[in-house]
Amino acid sequence: MGKPTGFIDFARVPLPKRAVPERVRDWQEFLLDWDPQEARHQAGRCMNCAVPMCHSYTGCPLGNIIPDWNDFVYQDRWDKALISLHSTNNFPEFTGRICPAPCEAACIVGRPRHYTDHVEADDPVTIEYIEKSIADRGWQEGWIEPEPPLVRTGKSVAVVGSGPAGMAAAQQLNRTGHWVTVYERSEYIGGLLRLGIPDFKLEKGVVQRRVDQMEAEGVKFEANTDVGKDFDANDLLDRYDAVCLTGGSTQARDLPVPGRELDGVHFAMEYLTQQNRVNSGYEVDSGIRINAKGKRVVILGGGDTGADCLGTAHRQGAEEVYQFEIMPEPPADRAGDNPWPQWPLVLRSSSAHEEGGVRDYNIVTTNLTGSNGTVKKLHGSSVSWGNGQPESVPGTEFEMDADLVLLAMGFLHPEHGGMLEQLDLDLDQRGNVLVDDEMRTSVAKVFSAGDMSRGQSLVVWAIAEGRDVARCIDQYLMGVTSLRPVLRRPVRPQQAGHVWK
Amino acid sequence: MDGGFRTGRDVVIGALLGADEFGIATAALVSAGCILMRKCHLNTCPVGIATQDPDLREKFTGLPEHVVNYLFMVAEEARVHMAALGFRSINEMVGRVDRLDTAQAIDHWKARGLDFSALLHRPDVPESIATHFVPDHKQDHGIQHAIDNTIIERCADALQKARPVKFALDIGNQNRTLGTMLSNQVAKRYGEDGLPEDTIELDLRGSAGQSFAAFLSPGISFRLQGDANDYFCKGLSGGKVAIVPPDAATFTPEENTIVGNVGLYGATAGKVFIRGIAGERFCVRNSGAEAVVEGVGDHGCEYMTGGRVIVLGPTGRNFAAGMSGGEAYVLDEKGDFSSLCNTEMVALESVKSQEDRDSLHRLLSEHLSNTGSANAERVLSNWDAMLPKFVKIMPHDYKRALAENAKLPLSTDVSLDDFSR
Repeated sequence: MGKPTGFIDFARVPLPKRAVPERVRDWQEFLLDWDPQEARHQAGRCMNCAVPMCHSYTGCPLGNIIPDWNDFVYQDRWDKALISLHSTNNFPEFTGRICPAPCEAACIVGRPRHYTDHVEADDPVTIEYIEKSIADRGWQEGWIEPEPPLVRTGKSVAVVGSGPAGMAAAQQLNRTGHWVTVYERSEYIGGLLRLGIPDFKLEKGVVQRRVDQMEAEGVKFEANTDVGKDFDANDLLDRYDAVCLTGGSTQARDLPVPGRELDGVHFAMEYLTQQNRVNSGYEVDSGIRINAKGKRVVILGGGDTGADCLGTAHRQGAEEVYQFEIMPEPPADRAGDNPWPQWPLVLRSSSAHEEGGVRDYNIVTTNLTGSNGTVKKLHGSSVSWGNGQPESVPGTEFEMDADLVLLAMGFLHPEHGGMLEQLDLDLDQRGNVLVDDEMRTSVAKVFSAGDMSRGQSLVVWAIAEGRDVARCIDQYLMGVTSLRPVLRRPVRPQQAGHVWK
Repeated sequence: MDGGFRTGRDVVIGALLGADEFGIATAALVSAGCILMRKCHLNTCPVGIATQDPDLREKFTGLPEHVVNYLFMVAEEARVHMAALGFRSINEMVGRVDRLDTAQAIDHWKARGLDFSALLHRPDVPESIATHFVPDHKQDHGIQHAIDNTIIERCADALQKARPVKFALDIGNQNRTLGTMLSNQVAKRYGEDGLPEDTIELDLRGSAGQSFAAFLSPGISFRLQGDANDYFCKGLSGGKVAIVPPDAATFTPEENTIVGNVGLYGATAGKVFIRGIAGERFCVRNSGAEAVVEGVGDHGCEYMTGGRVIVLGPTGRNFAAGMSGGEAYVLDEKGDFSSLCNTEMVALESVKSQEDRDSLHRLLSEHLSNTGSANAERVLSNWDAMLPKFVKIMPHDYKRALAENAKLPLSTDVSLDDFSR
């Protein structure tokens, strides 16, 4: 806590954003930087709580030591702040950009005060933007360099899937001294960071420089390699001392309604990955190009993926964009059964929502119709949530023009065919890869982490699980490990009941 | 018994171990809104408990009912445990270590080799001897035997009619807090302002017990020939005290200690003149009294926040530690004071301003007239030569606050809030 009265003296000032008319014309990031003095003030708002909620209980899954690096930033010791940040987070420049910041929801400065007749709250510390500023500063100053291990253990590990969980696991394992090979079925390393998240939230150079760092550290990346298709997954068991599966939760939830098969109805990931490839200079055949230019776009699903589709559609020059959600609109403030420091179930607006579009709730799609095999209209109705199940409200049926329908309704579980089938892994009741407390699957020397085993989740959880699975694998390979467990051990649905480790 | 008490179970265990009374602090604070920020010393308590900042105090959401509710729940839980143990009252339960299942609590590798038998001992005494607090056995402090009762009687004229009273009295070190009950009588009748100066003058002879002249009210003047124990003039509230060696003493007063440790603890007003050396922690937490002494032990003027102290001789080490206000003057004839002073919060200056010289001269003259100090006489008669040997000890923050105050318009009434940040 650089300044004891910082939280009184300074107001919360988020990072400035580029103006909407300017930023929707290109694909560059929408966030700008503070001037250095503002960064210090924002960090000075941290109270250095004796019981910091930002990195315990409901706060940062990585256990980022937030009060420490806030203090370093206030003292203008950015180098020390970076060391502290990297001690718990391999990729702070990712989470500094695209994390929903559970730390800020748990920040004690933003803690609601319950008076007898009303509730008040102050604004939490801008933890995520401070994190971004520290990481960006580190890259600018050249402080972030390859950290190859001094000694090799001679053990080898295969990591399948190069998303944030796989990258974190690979970097941790490699720095510990194991030889790590990362397999990726697409042509780019980075998983959803690279192909799913739009450039305006996370420019791809930001991912690539980490990949470059890891290559320089000795991690081997095998892109364009689909384990389970290009070769039998069991080959990995023969060739490596341990295998880590971090393939993500890639099976998207479908919309089983008449008309789903029409052209112009796509999964969000088809749409987003294609645009990311185009931005990287990839020539997409015009026959399969999904372009919102001049179209009326309907996005089904009110989450972050839907918001990414929204921002992408605006940048492509969509005529109108609608985003529908089947659930009711969340409240603006915490409900009574959702107290601090729990994650607040409230309405969130991303940068894409500032750029336009219409959001609506309690809407179900009943069918899609079109002509010449191309979608033209979406038919739906309002629903009510009487007994926990959505029920169409009679008389609310509607139809609307729609040239492009994007399905952003979440992900169910990993793809079960191919690799998982060949390895014959046990799955949990949600269809995710079943792992135990030490992140072992049902097959010896095979581990799993990230969305593949916990189900769709946040980048920050992926990094946390990646770090933790690295510890478990190191322990398995060596019998001892110097890697520290992440502060908040991942909790899976099937483990509910004995929560805290 | 206290220390981390939170639940009714803690209370029951405490009682079984022999406690009659229980202290609960942190948990009660938490029930009122404390979130254990450990910022109590910084005035930045964000829940408005340990702060004087009006804006932060606005953030306090606690209600007395919260604490009441918490304590009811502690009592309720204690009752449940008592019922399970078969006790009807706390008194029945006190000291019943035989009902305590200790195996689990002390089965810990750190506890190996420790012998708890004395802690868990249950004295074998007949029923006629109480093993718990019995309200009929009131504590007897023997206050009716205090010498102050006599003094109060003899001061009736002063107390009732504000007429001057003067007499001599022999005292001994069994007479503790001498003058405090008298001060209570003055304060009850005349309030904080007390009586006019020197209305009650006592000439005391002997060795004063602990806390001599504690909380002495304005209008009372003690002159003690002899010596005084620790805590003399504690909380001095406007009275005047002079302590000198007996006339018959053969030692050199300025080279000998005649009063104990921790003098003037938390004094708020008044004057003290000591012809001799004081012990350690002289004037600790003094906030307004003026004192002259001929030497002090270690930690002089510790945590002082106001008032004025003159030391006409040597000091111990760590002088002025945590001193945030008031001023001190030390006659540094050896020239080694700077190595003995803790300069974390204070600056050492020479006595420059006429105002400082005047107040120094005035206090030393009073010291001379009240104690006949040879040291004071030597300094005053060589004033110009001695003045450069005085070191003024000035707290940084106090100096800054005085400078800021000097800039304020004279008519402005400075309120506490102005200092709360």
